[in-house]
Amino acid sequence: MSRRLIVLFLSMLVLVGAMSLKTVVATHSDGSVIMANGGAPAPPTPWK
Amino acid sequence: MPGTLQLLVWLLCTLFEIAVIVCALKKGVFRRYALLSIYMGASVVVSLARFRVLTGYGYTSSQYVYVYYYSDALLTIFLYFALANLYAQVLSELKAERHVRFATLFLLAATALFSYGVVHEASTRLISRFVVELSQNLYFVGLVVTYILWGAILKMRETRTQLIQVVLSLGVYFSLFAADYALRNLYPSMRSISIPLQQVIGCFLPLAWAYTFWYIPEDARTVPARLATVSR
Repeated sequence: MSRRLIVLFLSMLVLVGAMSLKTVVATHSDGSVIMANGGAPAPPTPWK
Repeated sequence: MPGTLQLLVWLLCTLFEIAVIVCALKKGVFRRYALLSIYMGASVVVSLARFRVLTGYGYTSSQYVYVYYYSDALLTIFLYFALANLYAQVLSELKAERHVRFATLFLLAATALFSYGVVHEASTRLISRFVVELSQNLYFVGLVVTYILWGAILKMRETRTQLIQVVLSLGVYFSLFAADYALRNLYPSMRSISIPLQQVIGCFLPLAWAYTFWYIPEDARTVPARLATVSR
């Protein structure tokens, strides 16, 4: 049970870290999004 | 319609993705890296679908926009599970597969919930906004998780060269995209360089994996360097 709680805690920690990193990287964002899959040319994002 | 160079880079990238599957099959590591190969297979299928829609409806059409962003979210989820599979391999000695599975699903659910929390007040295109947000957030989760995996490889003194190379190239790939994205936001005048660069970076991962599967034998071993300690 306690190991499962540790896993939950670590997962939440990862999520917090990832969202903090996103905030830092996208601080001056112009609304463009980061796309990391394949070599297809990225279209504009009308809903951002 | 994108230029010839952009289409050429795209074609090259798709060929590298096919090469990963071929190399994995040829070298007998397809089952070991099944999720990675499935991710590459899905990338090829998505590339074909995107090309079909691009030529049929045009670059700025809503059809291409929808196919692009929805398929991107799907591929990010595939990549996320491929990453979880790498975790399971690195932590196999600890018999932690069950915990890795649980953490993977929990983190995915938490990220989805967080993404929904960000976009739920949007009055229009809620699902599309959610899909893009989830893709973005999962990308950053993948980045952090990859760095942690790097640490785990060093800490656990993982010696399988192929596995190390696969994880390292994934970390470099994520980092290159993040750097390109930060560069684009910090220097908007460099968009003309950073956006095509994004496409070129997209070729890095399939190229690195194809190289790894083809040139590095499954039983090759590397010993990570010990941290230098200064005696007092």
